[in-house]
Amino acid sequence: MTLSGSVIDGQPPNQTTPTGPVPGPRRGRRRKWTLDRISFFIVFLGLPLALFLIFVINPFIQAGYYSLTNWSGFSPEQEFVGLQNFIDLAQDPRFTNAVGNSVVLGLVVPFVTLTIALIFAILITIGGAGRGQIRGVKGAGFYRVVSLFPYVIPGIAIGLIWRLILDPSSGLVNGVLTGLGLDQFESFAWLGNVTTAMPASIFVIVWGFVGFYMLLFIAAIKGIPAEIYEAARLDGAGRARMSWSITLPLIRDNVQTAYIYIGIMALDAYVYMQALNPQGGPDSSTLVMSQQLFRTAFAESKFGYASAMGVVIALVTLVFAALVFTVNRLAGGKDEGGAS
Amino acid sequence: MATVTYDHASRIYPGTERPAVDALNLEVEDGEFLVLVGPSGCGKSTSLRMLAGLEDVNSGRILIGDRDVTDVQPKDRDIAMVFQNYALYPHMSVADNMGFALKIAGKPKAEIRQRVEEAAKILDLSEYLDRKPKALSGGQRQRVAMGRAIVRQPQVFLMDEPLSNLDAKLRVQTRTQIASLQRRLGVTTVYVTHDQTEALTMGDRICVLKDGVLQQVGTPRDMYDTPQNVFVAGFIGSPAMNLGSFKVADGKANLGGAHIPLTRTTLDAITDEDKGEITLGFRPEATHLVSEGTEASFGIRVNLVEELGSDAFVYGEMLDKEASEHISSGAGDAQVIVRVEPRNPPMKGDTVYIQIEDGQKHLFSSATGQRLPE
Repeated sequence: MTLSGSVIDGQPPNQTTPTGPVPGPRRGRRRKWTLDRISFFIVFLGLPLALFLIFVINPFIQAGYYSLTNWSGFSPEQEFVGLQNFIDLAQDPRFTNAVGNSVVLGLVVPFVTLTIALIFAILITIGGAGRGQIRGVKGAGFYRVVSLFPYVIPGIAIGLIWRLILDPSSGLVNGVLTGLGLDQFESFAWLGNVTTAMPASIFVIVWGFVGFYMLLFIAAIKGIPAEIYEAARLDGAGRARMSWSITLPLIRDNVQTAYIYIGIMALDAYVYMQALNPQGGPDSSTLVMSQQLFRTAFAESKFGYASAMGVVIALVTLVFAALVFTVNRLAGGKDEGGAS
Repeated sequence: MATVTYDHASRIYPGTERPAVDALNLEVEDGEFLVLVGPSGCGKSTSLRMLAGLEDVNSGRILIGDRDVTDVQPKDRDIAMVFQNYALYPHMSVADNMGFALKIAGKPKAEIRQRVEEAAKILDLSEYLDRKPKALSGGQRQRVAMGRAIVRQPQVFLMDEPLSNLDAKLRVQTRTQIASLQRRLGVTTVYVTHDQTEALTMGDRICVLKDGVLQQVGTPRDMYDTPQNVFVAGFIGSPAMNLGSFKVADGKANLGGAHIPLTRTTLDAITDEDKGEITLGFRPEATHLVSEGTEASFGIRVNLVEELGSDAFVYGEMLDKEASEHISSGAGDAQVIVRVEPRNPPMKGDTVYIQIEDGQKHLFSSATGQRLPE
């Protein structure tokens, strides 16, 4: 304690300062505990901290504890079973299948959504004519508004709408396809087929989110001074080169944030998957972790076991976020700050 | 190396009636340093951006050399531009910033390296090549922006107020550096500034614009000695020229106690539309103090004396209150500025009598603002 104290004072121990008047010790400036100060701390530090501890941290710890029990959820008695729930989980084919499906979502949805969003954002902001002022394609404002529409619709509604659109016999998709003469799609079950159920679900989620992330990227790109694009243009950069060498590096922080955000959403994806295929799809091919957790807890009354699933979901999410940070860092993101 | 030609080039921004640049006709010689100057909103930057291809040309043509580039993409015009805020790529090192154009052009790495190092040497940037722009000072960033242009070895340099983000001292230094660098490289340069001192010191020729209309093109000496209209007269020179509207009578220009003789040629050039008035201008430095009663002299009451060491400037108003309403200068309406001997300046409140030096008055039609012959 004494050592760290002297470091805080800014002087190495055992050394006298030769120059300048020595001010009184810093510690003397510590202010008194007045009522004003105490109430300030209570309101702005104590209260939020208490709420955070009670409603965020406490449930985490509780869930962590329940995951070590065989609690059924509706009875007071519970038994401590150690890591048995986790051992069972590892051998539970339904859950490992769900983890696999969630991981597929977590890998595919962010990549596809953000790639499409980025392409659209670039087209709308700087994709216009190569001569004259930097501008987007014609009618950019219109596309920008229209593409946000899906995001305004609640997730559950999106799921239900697309379930109807993809309906084998009365759905819009098959209606259009058969109308075009593709008769093999008559009563084709998009969501009832092991090969198409997952891709169709991914499509729906991507459809719902592209607009929002596009808007996010548009804002980021607009934050880049137009002169930088003009300079790049004079340096001979075409649209593709400009996107890759200028736009992407300059908005990489936004892309990283968006990646983590949508990744967490995709690892959950409960609303969409439940609305599209409440039973987990053909052969459980669209069953995701959160669905399985819900079923285990509330249909099978195994709260302890479900809590263990929750812990696994949290771990998977953390690993995902760490992965995104690492990739961004390895790709040169750390250099962004520049030297010194 | 190439010439640059504006041929009736106009730019009308969407949603506006008045052209930002109105039928600009301008020829820049091969290797020349041409400065576009004018007050803000006069269309000088727009003219430059039209040449760069960053602004559409609504009518007319722009040529670089013999090539019509009006519809050519900016990247194919073989020009390099220095922006006011430098527009360096923040995520690239200085070397990458300077070599970006060459990299896109597919030049071999060794050649890029060599050309970047050469330019860095010229600009004294060699030790900063691995730094990011963020870690450079304003002056260094400005030099990187210059370096990025030099490395390209373009036909034309375009510079859009490249010094306006520097502090006053550095600006004066960099001013001479850019001018001498341009002379050394011999690359045709179009330079935009709002600062007439910069224009006078740097340009081979100066082009003054106002409201998108070309006012006058000429050497700094021309602009100073024979401004073609009232606007150029008031814009070029520091402190600005004193301009007054004088009544013409008895072959003289009269205002208050001032009676300044005019030549026959001038009197003949005055038309009915001038309504018997003439705009007469004289520079603060083109006067000398005389004793009361000297011919063609007039009195000024001293309001303020500004001493600069090498010079002293007297700010004052004409003795006749009514007459002083009709004269203006860089210091505002009803003010006259006169340079006096700094060793022995008049005091505030004094009355001094001044005479315009021979051949140093500038006469303009009060109706059209155009210069009248003398």
